[in-house]
Amino acid sequence: MRIQVRRTGGFAGIERYAEIDTAGRPDADEWQALAERALAAGQATRPAGVPDGFGYEITVDGRTVHASDPRLPDDLRALVTRVLKEGA
Amino acid sequence: MVPDMTTHGGHEPVFCTVVPPHLLDKLARSDDPAVSGPARRTLVRDSELRGRRRVTSEFRLAAAPAVRAPSDRPLRTIYDAGNRTELPGTKVRGEGDEPGRDATVNRAYAGLGATFELFLKAYGRRSIDGDGLPLDATVHYDENYGNAFWNGEQMVFGDGDGEVFLDFTLPVDVIGHELTHGVTQYTANLTYYGQPGALNESMSDVFGSLIKQYTLGQTASEADWLIGAGLLAPGVTGVALRSMKAPGTAYDDDVLGKDPQPATMEDYVRTGRDNGGVHINSGIPNHAFYLAATALGGHAWEKAGQIWYDVLTGGELSERALFRDFATLTVKAARERYGDGGDEHEAVRKAWGQVGVRTR
Ligand SMILES: [Zn+2]
Repeated sequence: MRIQVRRTGGFAGIERYAEIDTAGRPDADEWQALAERALAAGQATRPAGVPDGFGYEITVDGRTVHASDPRLPDDLRALVTRVLKEGA
Repeated sequence: MVPDMTTHGGHEPVFCTVVPPHLLDKLARSDDPAVSGPARRTLVRDSELRGRRRVTSEFRLAAAPAVRAPSDRPLRTIYDAGNRTELPGTKVRGEGDEPGRDATVNRAYAGLGATFELFLKAYGRRSIDGDGLPLDATVHYDENYGNAFWNGEQMVFGDGDGEVFLDFTLPVDVIGHELTHGVTQYTANLTYYGQPGALNESMSDVFGSLIKQYTLGQTASEADWLIGAGLLAPGVTGVALRSMKAPGTAYDDDVLGKDPQPATMEDYVRTGRDNGGVHINSGIPNHAFYLAATALGGHAWEKAGQIWYDVLTGGELSERALFRDFATLTVKAARERYGDGGDEHEAVRKAWGQVGVRTR
Protein backbone atom coordinates (compact mmCIF):
# COMPACT_ATOMS: atom_id res chain seq x y z
CA MET A 1 0.00 0.00 0.00
CA ARG A 2 1.36 3.38 -1.04
CA ILE A 3 0.32 6.37 1.09
CA GLN A 4 1.08 9.91 -0.09
CA VAL A 5 0.48 13.08 1.91
CA ARG A 6 0.69 16.64 0.61
CA ARG A 7 0.21 19.56 2.99
CA THR A 8 -0.21 23.01 1.42
CA GLY A 9 -0.71 26.61 2.58
CA GLY A 10 -0.20 27.62 6.18
CA PHE A 11 1.17 30.95 7.42
CA ALA A 12 4.50 30.16 5.75
CA GLY A 13 2.92 28.96 2.51
CA ILE A 14 5.49 26.17 2.36
CA GLU A 15 4.37 22.87 0.90
CA ARG A 16 5.36 19.54 2.44
CA TYR A 17 5.14 16.15 0.80
CA ALA A 18 5.96 12.65 2.01
CA GLU A 19 5.00 9.12 1.08
CA ILE A 20 5.34 5.68 2.54
CA ASP A 21 5.15 2.16 1.14
CA THR A 22 3.75 -0.28 3.67
CA ALA A 23 4.93 -3.37 1.79
CA GLY A 24 7.29 -5.46 3.90
CA ARG A 25 6.82 -3.30 7.00
CA PRO A 26 6.18 -5.17 10.24
CA ASP A 27 3.41 -2.67 11.08
CA ALA A 28 1.78 -2.85 7.61
CA ASP A 29 -1.58 -4.02 9.02
CA GLU A 30 -1.73 -1.07 11.38
CA TRP A 31 -0.90 1.38 8.56
CA GLN A 32 -3.52 -0.21 6.33
CA ALA A 33 -6.24 0.07 8.95
CA LEU A 34 -5.37 3.70 9.66
CA ALA A 35 -5.29 4.52 5.94
CA GLU A 36 -8.75 2.97 5.43
CA ARG A 37 -10.21 5.01 8.28
CA ALA A 38 -8.55 8.16 6.95
CA LEU A 39 -9.96 7.61 3.46
CA ALA A 40 -13.43 7.24 4.93
CA ALA A 41 -13.04 10.48 6.92
CA GLY A 42 -11.80 12.64 4.02
CA GLN A 43 -13.77 14.46 1.34
CA ALA A 44 -13.73 14.04 -2.43
CA THR A 45 -13.08 17.73 -3.06
CA ARG A 46 -11.17 20.28 -1.02
CA PRO A 47 -13.39 21.60 1.77
CA ALA A 48 -13.41 25.32 2.65
CA GLY A 49 -10.45 26.28 4.78
CA VAL A 50 -9.55 29.35 6.80
CA PRO A 51 -6.87 32.00 6.13
CA ASP A 52 -3.44 30.45 6.78
CA GLY A 53 -4.97 27.06 7.58
CA PHE A 54 -3.25 23.99 6.13
CA GLY A 55 -4.89 22.07 3.28
CA TYR A 56 -4.29 18.30 3.09
CA GLU A 57 -4.34 15.89 0.16
CA ILE A 58 -4.05 12.20 1.05
CA THR A 59 -3.67 9.54 -1.64
CA VAL A 60 -3.84 5.82 -0.84
CA ASP A 61 -3.10 3.53 -3.79
CA GLY A 62 -4.35 6.16 -6.22
CA ARG A 63 -7.47 7.15 -4.26
CA THR A 64 -7.36 10.78 -3.09
CA VAL A 65 -9.25 12.56 -0.33
CA HIS A 66 -8.99 16.14 0.96
CA ALA A 67 -9.28 17.96 4.27
CA SER A 68 -8.61 21.45 5.66
CA ASP A 69 -7.70 22.90 9.03
CA PRO A 70 -9.21 23.46 11.52
CA ARG A 71 -11.64 20.65 10.67
CA LEU A 72 -9.19 17.81 10.24
CA PRO A 73 -10.76 14.49 11.34
CA ASP A 74 -8.71 12.63 13.99
CA ASP A 75 -7.88 9.64 11.78
CA LEU A 76 -6.65 11.93 9.03
CA ARG A 77 -4.59 13.92 11.51
CA ALA A 78 -3.01 10.72 12.83
CA LEU A 79 -2.16 9.51 9.31
CA VAL A 80 -0.84 12.90 8.12
CA THR A 81 1.35 13.27 11.22
CA ARG A 82 2.82 9.76 10.84
CA VAL A 83 3.51 9.98 7.12
CA LEU A 84 5.11 13.43 7.35
CA LYS A 85 7.24 12.18 10.24
CA GLU A 86 8.20 8.69 9.06
CA GLY A 87 7.82 8.97 5.28
CA ALA A 88 10.28 10.25 2.74
CA MET B 1 -10.66 18.93 -24.32
CA VAL B 2 -11.89 22.08 -22.67
CA PRO B 3 -15.08 21.76 -20.63
CA ASP B 4 -18.10 23.88 -21.54
CA MET B 5 -17.94 27.49 -20.57
CA THR B 6 -20.93 29.42 -19.46
CA THR B 7 -21.69 33.10 -19.09
CA HIS B 8 -23.53 34.44 -16.07
CA GLY B 9 -25.60 37.52 -16.85
CA GLY B 10 -22.99 39.41 -18.84
CA HIS B 11 -20.08 38.61 -16.51
CA GLU B 12 -16.86 37.15 -17.77
CA PRO B 13 -17.12 33.44 -18.59
CA VAL B 14 -16.50 30.91 -15.83
CA PHE B 15 -16.50 27.10 -15.90
CA CYS B 16 -19.53 25.26 -14.59
CA THR B 17 -19.08 24.00 -11.06
CA VAL B 18 -19.23 20.41 -12.32
CA VAL B 19 -15.61 20.76 -13.39
CA PRO B 20 -13.66 19.14 -10.53
CA PRO B 21 -11.30 21.46 -8.61
CA HIS B 22 -8.15 19.53 -9.49
CA LEU B 23 -8.94 19.94 -13.18
CA LEU B 24 -9.70 23.64 -12.63
CA ASP B 25 -6.33 23.97 -10.92
CA LYS B 26 -4.69 22.43 -13.97
CA LEU B 27 -6.67 24.60 -16.39
CA ALA B 28 -5.88 27.68 -14.33
CA ARG B 29 -2.20 27.00 -14.97
CA SER B 30 -2.69 26.70 -18.73
CA ASP B 31 -0.56 28.86 -21.00
CA ASP B 32 -3.66 29.67 -23.05
CA PRO B 33 -5.43 32.66 -21.44
CA ALA B 34 -8.72 31.58 -23.03
CA VAL B 35 -8.51 28.44 -20.87
CA SER B 36 -6.74 29.76 -17.79
CA GLY B 37 -8.85 32.93 -17.45
CA PRO B 38 -12.26 31.28 -17.03
CA ALA B 39 -10.76 28.55 -14.84
CA ARG B 40 -9.22 31.11 -12.51
CA ARG B 41 -12.41 33.11 -12.31
CA THR B 42 -14.31 29.94 -11.48
CA LEU B 43 -11.90 29.11 -8.68
CA VAL B 44 -12.22 32.63 -7.32
CA ARG B 45 -16.00 32.52 -7.53
CA ASP B 46 -16.23 29.09 -5.91
CA SER B 47 -13.96 30.06 -3.06
CA GLU B 48 -16.03 33.20 -2.64
CA LEU B 49 -19.19 31.12 -2.34
CA ARG B 50 -17.49 28.85 0.14
CA GLY B 51 -16.31 31.89 2.05
CA ARG B 52 -19.81 33.27 2.21
CA ARG B 53 -21.21 29.99 3.49
CA ARG B 54 -18.43 29.90 6.00
CA VAL B 55 -19.21 33.37 7.26
CA THR B 56 -22.96 32.96 7.39
CA SER B 57 -23.42 29.44 8.65
CA GLU B 58 -20.35 27.61 9.82
CA PHE B 59 -18.84 30.28 11.98
CA ARG B 60 -22.09 32.05 12.86
CA LEU B 61 -20.67 35.54 12.53
CA ALA B 62 -24.17 36.87 12.07
CA ALA B 63 -24.83 36.20 15.75
CA ALA B 64 -22.78 38.99 17.26
CA PRO B 65 -21.44 38.29 20.74
CA ALA B 66 -23.36 39.97 23.51
CA VAL B 67 -20.20 41.05 25.31
CA ARG B 68 -18.44 44.10 23.91
CA ALA B 69 -15.14 45.75 24.77
CA PRO B 70 -15.29 49.28 26.18
CA SER B 71 -14.56 52.02 23.65
CA ASP B 72 -10.85 52.49 24.29
CA ARG B 73 -9.62 49.19 25.71
CA PRO B 74 -9.41 45.64 24.37
CA LEU B 75 -11.28 42.69 25.87
CA ARG B 76 -8.79 39.85 25.63
CA THR B 77 -9.08 36.19 26.58
CA ILE B 78 -6.29 33.67 26.13
CA TYR B 79 -7.03 29.95 26.08
CA ASP B 80 -4.69 26.96 26.29
CA ALA B 81 -5.45 23.99 24.01
CA GLY B 82 -3.02 21.81 26.01
CA ASN B 83 -1.52 20.49 22.74
CA ARG B 84 -4.89 19.15 21.68
CA THR B 85 -7.11 20.50 18.90
CA GLU B 86 -10.39 21.35 20.60
CA LEU B 87 -11.15 25.07 20.45
CA PRO B 88 -11.06 27.30 22.32
CA GLY B 89 -9.51 25.19 25.14
CA THR B 90 -9.11 26.18 28.80
CA LYS B 91 -9.22 29.87 29.72
CA VAL B 92 -5.87 30.87 31.20
CA ARG B 93 -5.84 34.69 31.16
CA GLY B 94 -8.61 37.25 30.97
CA GLU B 95 -8.53 41.02 30.44
CA GLY B 96 -6.71 42.80 33.26
CA ASP B 97 -5.33 39.58 34.80
CA GLU B 98 -1.71 39.66 35.93
CA PRO B 99 0.87 37.93 33.69
CA GLY B 100 1.29 34.25 34.48
CA ARG B 101 4.26 31.91 34.21
CA ASP B 102 3.60 30.84 30.62
CA ALA B 103 5.53 33.19 28.31
CA THR B 104 3.48 32.06 25.31
CA VAL B 105 0.26 33.16 27.01
CA ASN B 106 1.81 36.50 27.98
CA ARG B 107 3.10 37.13 24.46
CA ALA B 108 -0.28 36.36 22.92
CA TYR B 109 -1.98 38.71 25.41
CA ALA B 110 0.51 41.51 24.69
CA GLY B 111 0.30 40.96 20.92
CA LEU B 112 -3.49 41.25 20.94
CA GLY B 113 -3.08 44.47 22.91
CA ALA B 114 -0.52 45.87 20.46
CA THR B 115 -2.80 45.10 17.52
CA PHE B 116 -5.82 46.69 19.22
CA GLU B 117 -3.67 49.74 20.02
CA LEU B 118 -2.47 50.37 16.45
CA PHE B 119 -5.94 50.09 14.91
CA LEU B 120 -7.43 52.36 17.60
CA LYS B 121 -4.72 55.01 17.88
CA ALA B 122 -3.74 55.24 14.22
CA TYR B 123 -7.10 54.68 12.51
CA GLY B 124 -9.76 55.11 15.21
CA ARG B 125 -10.93 51.51 14.73
CA ARG B 126 -12.48 49.88 17.78
CA SER B 127 -11.24 46.28 17.63
CA ILE B 128 -11.38 43.87 14.68
CA ASP B 129 -14.96 44.54 13.68
CA GLY B 130 -14.84 48.26 14.52
CA ASP B 131 -17.42 47.62 17.23
CA GLY B 132 -15.49 46.32 20.23
CA LEU B 133 -15.30 42.63 19.31
CA PRO B 134 -13.69 40.64 22.15
CA LEU B 135 -10.29 39.27 21.13
CA ASP B 136 -9.82 35.56 21.75
CA ALA B 137 -6.70 33.51 21.12
CA THR B 138 -5.78 29.88 21.73
CA VAL B 139 -2.15 28.92 22.28
CA HIS B 140 -0.43 25.48 22.43
CA TYR B 141 -2.69 24.17 19.66
CA ASP B 142 -1.95 20.57 18.64
CA GLU B 143 1.50 18.96 19.01
CA ASN B 144 4.53 20.42 17.24
CA TYR B 145 2.10 22.47 15.16
CA GLY B 146 4.10 24.79 12.90
CA ASN B 147 1.37 27.23 12.05
CA ALA B 148 -1.04 29.95 13.16
CA PHE B 149 -4.42 30.85 11.69
CA TRP B 150 -7.56 32.94 12.08
CA ASN B 151 -10.61 30.64 12.09
CA GLY B 152 -13.21 33.32 11.44
CA GLU B 153 -13.75 33.95 15.15
CA GLN B 154 -10.44 33.75 16.96
CA MET B 155 -6.69 33.29 16.58
CA VAL B 156 -4.95 29.94 16.94
CA PHE B 157 -1.21 29.52 17.58
CA GLY B 158 0.95 26.40 17.44
CA ASP B 159 4.19 25.81 19.34
CA GLY B 160 6.18 24.95 16.21
CA ASP B 161 8.16 21.74 15.81
CA GLY B 162 11.35 23.24 17.26
CA GLU B 163 13.31 22.04 14.24
CA VAL B 164 12.05 24.41 11.57
CA PHE B 165 9.64 26.70 13.39
CA LEU B 166 9.62 27.99 16.95
CA ASP B 167 6.55 29.24 18.88
CA PHE B 168 4.24 31.25 16.58
CA THR B 169 3.56 33.84 19.29
CA LEU B 170 7.21 34.97 19.20
CA PRO B 171 6.96 37.61 16.42
CA VAL B 172 4.37 40.30 17.18
CA ASP B 173 3.86 40.79 13.43
CA VAL B 174 2.57 37.19 13.20
CA ILE B 175 -0.04 37.97 15.86
CA GLY B 176 -0.93 41.19 14.03
CA HIS B 177 -1.08 39.30 10.73
CA GLU B 178 -3.68 36.85 12.05
CA LEU B 179 -5.85 39.55 13.61
CA THR B 180 -5.74 41.58 10.40
CA HIS B 181 -7.33 38.58 8.63
CA GLY B 182 -10.22 39.31 10.98
CA VAL B 183 -10.27 43.00 10.02
CA THR B 184 -10.29 42.05 6.31
CA GLN B 185 -13.10 39.56 6.91
CA TYR B 186 -15.24 42.30 8.48
CA THR B 187 -14.42 44.88 5.78
CA ALA B 188 -13.40 44.14 2.16
CA ASN B 189 -13.68 40.36 2.73
CA LEU B 190 -11.19 39.65 -0.06
CA THR B 191 -11.69 36.19 -1.55
CA TYR B 192 -8.92 33.87 -0.37
CA TYR B 193 -7.78 32.74 -3.81
CA GLY B 194 -5.56 34.10 -6.57
CA GLN B 195 -4.98 37.87 -6.69
CA PRO B 196 -7.71 38.87 -4.21
CA GLY B 197 -6.27 36.17 -1.92
CA ALA B 198 -2.75 37.57 -2.32
CA LEU B 199 -4.15 41.04 -1.49
CA ASN B 200 -5.80 39.52 1.60
CA GLU B 201 -2.42 38.06 2.61
CA SER B 202 -0.65 41.33 1.85
CA MET B 203 -3.07 43.31 4.06
CA SER B 204 -2.15 40.99 6.93
CA ASP B 205 1.58 41.40 6.27
CA VAL B 206 1.30 45.19 5.90
CA PHE B 207 -0.61 45.77 9.14
CA GLY B 208 1.30 42.97 10.91
CA SER B 209 4.53 44.81 10.11
CA LEU B 210 3.01 48.18 11.06
CA ILE B 211 1.99 46.76 14.46
CA LYS B 212 5.61 45.78 15.05
CA GLN B 213 6.86 49.19 13.88
CA TYR B 214 4.31 51.01 16.04
CA THR B 215 5.26 48.91 19.08
CA LEU B 216 8.96 49.67 18.56
CA GLY B 217 8.38 53.30 17.56
CA GLN B 218 10.29 52.80 14.32
CA THR B 219 10.33 54.93 11.19
CA ALA B 220 10.06 53.36 7.72
CA SER B 221 13.83 53.49 7.30
CA GLU B 222 14.47 51.93 10.72
CA ALA B 223 12.07 49.00 10.26
CA ASP B 224 13.27 45.57 9.11
CA TRP B 225 10.13 44.98 6.97
CA LEU B 226 10.37 41.25 7.77
CA ILE B 227 7.44 38.95 8.50
CA GLY B 228 8.17 36.24 11.03
CA ALA B 229 11.63 37.35 12.17
CA GLY B 230 12.57 35.16 15.15
CA LEU B 231 10.25 32.33 14.10
CA LEU B 232 12.81 30.14 12.33
CA ALA B 233 14.64 27.64 14.51
CA PRO B 234 18.41 27.95 14.96
CA GLY B 235 20.04 26.04 12.13
CA VAL B 236 17.54 27.14 9.50
CA THR B 237 19.23 29.35 6.89
CA GLY B 238 17.04 32.42 6.80
CA VAL B 239 16.05 35.59 8.65
CA ALA B 240 12.25 35.35 8.44
CA LEU B 241 9.42 33.96 6.28
CA ARG B 242 8.90 36.99 4.05
CA SER B 243 10.62 40.27 3.32
CA MET B 244 8.59 43.25 2.16
CA LYS B 245 11.78 45.15 1.43
CA ALA B 246 13.32 42.41 -0.69
CA PRO B 247 10.74 39.70 -1.50
CA GLY B 248 12.36 36.35 -2.31
CA THR B 249 15.32 36.80 0.06
CA ALA B 250 13.90 35.82 3.48
CA TYR B 251 15.26 32.26 3.50
CA ASP B 252 17.19 29.76 1.39
CA ASP B 253 17.41 26.48 3.25
CA ASP B 254 17.96 22.74 2.64
CA VAL B 255 14.67 21.81 4.30
CA LEU B 256 12.52 24.87 3.62
CA GLY B 257 13.71 25.54 0.11
CA LYS B 258 14.03 29.11 -1.15
CA ASP B 259 11.68 32.03 -0.47
CA PRO B 260 9.48 31.97 -3.62
CA GLN B 261 8.11 35.52 -3.41
CA PRO B 262 8.28 37.82 -6.43
CA ALA B 263 8.78 41.58 -5.99
CA THR B 264 7.28 42.62 -9.33
CA MET B 265 4.68 41.46 -11.87
CA GLU B 266 7.45 40.27 -14.15
CA ASP B 267 8.00 37.33 -11.78
CA TYR B 268 4.32 36.74 -10.91
CA VAL B 269 3.84 33.03 -10.09
CA ARG B 270 0.90 31.23 -11.70
CA THR B 271 -0.07 28.23 -9.56
CA GLY B 272 -3.15 26.46 -8.27
CA ARG B 273 -1.41 25.47 -5.05
CA ASP B 274 -1.55 27.50 -1.82
CA ASN B 275 -4.96 28.82 -2.90
CA GLY B 276 -3.46 30.08 -6.12
CA GLY B 277 -0.24 31.30 -4.55
CA VAL B 278 -1.70 33.67 -1.95
CA HIS B 279 1.47 33.53 0.19
CA ILE B 280 3.68 33.87 -2.90
CA ASN B 281 2.31 36.73 -4.99
CA SER B 282 1.55 38.81 -1.90
CA GLY B 283 5.21 39.81 -2.32
CA ILE B 284 4.17 42.23 -5.08
CA PRO B 285 1.65 44.39 -3.15
CA ASN B 286 3.89 44.01 -0.06
CA HIS B 287 6.79 45.54 -1.95
CA ALA B 288 4.61 48.34 -3.34
CA PHE B 289 3.66 49.27 0.22
CA TYR B 290 7.30 49.23 1.31
CA LEU B 291 8.28 51.47 -1.63
CA ALA B 292 5.50 53.99 -0.95
CA ALA B 293 6.18 54.04 2.80
CA THR B 294 9.95 54.51 2.49
CA ALA B 295 9.53 57.18 -0.20
CA LEU B 296 7.30 59.12 2.20
CA GLY B 297 9.55 58.49 5.22
CA GLY B 298 8.61 58.91 8.87
CA HIS B 299 6.20 56.50 10.57
CA ALA B 300 4.80 54.17 7.92
CA TRP B 301 1.45 53.77 9.70
CA GLU B 302 0.72 57.49 9.47
CA LYS B 303 0.48 58.08 5.72
CA ALA B 304 1.04 54.90 3.68
CA GLY B 305 -0.79 52.85 6.34
CA GLN B 306 -3.67 55.35 6.40
CA ILE B 307 -4.04 55.16 2.61
CA TRP B 308 -4.06 51.33 2.65
CA TYR B 309 -6.52 51.36 5.56
CA ASP B 310 -8.79 53.83 3.70
CA VAL B 311 -9.02 51.39 0.77
CA LEU B 312 -9.45 48.25 2.90
CA THR B 313 -12.34 49.78 4.84
CA GLY B 314 -13.71 52.31 2.32
CA GLY B 315 -16.35 50.04 0.78
CA GLU B 316 -15.17 50.41 -2.83
CA LEU B 317 -12.78 47.44 -2.83
CA SER B 318 -14.49 44.40 -4.37
CA GLU B 319 -14.19 40.94 -2.82
CA ARG B 320 -12.67 39.81 -6.09
CA ALA B 321 -10.33 42.77 -6.56
CA LEU B 322 -7.21 42.26 -8.64
CA PHE B 323 -3.89 43.99 -7.96
CA ARG B 324 -4.67 46.76 -10.47
CA ASP B 325 -8.08 47.43 -8.86
CA PHE B 326 -6.52 47.75 -5.42
CA ALA B 327 -3.61 49.85 -6.75
CA THR B 328 -5.99 52.23 -8.51
CA LEU B 329 -8.00 52.71 -5.32
CA THR B 330 -4.87 53.48 -3.28
CA VAL B 331 -3.85 56.17 -5.78
CA LYS B 332 -7.37 57.63 -5.53
CA ALA B 333 -7.33 57.45 -1.73
CA ALA B 334 -3.93 59.19 -1.59
CA ARG B 335 -5.23 61.97 -3.83
CA GLU B 336 -8.46 62.39 -1.88
CA ARG B 337 -6.83 62.44 1.54
CA TYR B 338 -3.61 64.34 0.81
CA GLY B 339 -4.27 66.29 -2.40
CA ASP B 340 -3.81 65.94 -6.16
CA GLY B 341 -0.16 65.82 -7.18
CA GLY B 342 1.00 65.84 -3.57
CA ASP B 343 3.95 63.76 -2.30
CA GLU B 344 1.61 61.00 -1.11
CA HIS B 345 -0.21 60.79 -4.43
CA GLU B 346 3.07 60.64 -6.33
CA ALA B 347 4.73 58.13 -3.97
CA VAL B 348 1.84 55.68 -4.22
CA ARG B 349 1.53 56.02 -8.00
CA LYS B 350 5.25 55.52 -8.43
CA ALA B 351 5.40 52.52 -6.07
CA TRP B 352 2.86 50.56 -8.13
CA GLY B 353 4.70 51.49 -11.32
CA GLN B 354 7.91 50.10 -9.84
CA VAL B 355 6.34 46.71 -9.15
CA GLY B 356 4.74 46.61 -12.59
CA VAL B 357 1.09 47.08 -11.58
CA ARG B 358 -0.73 49.53 -13.81
CA THR B 359 -3.10 52.01 -12.22
CA ARG B 360 -5.96 53.70 -14.03
ZN1 LIG C 1 -2.29 35.02 6.40
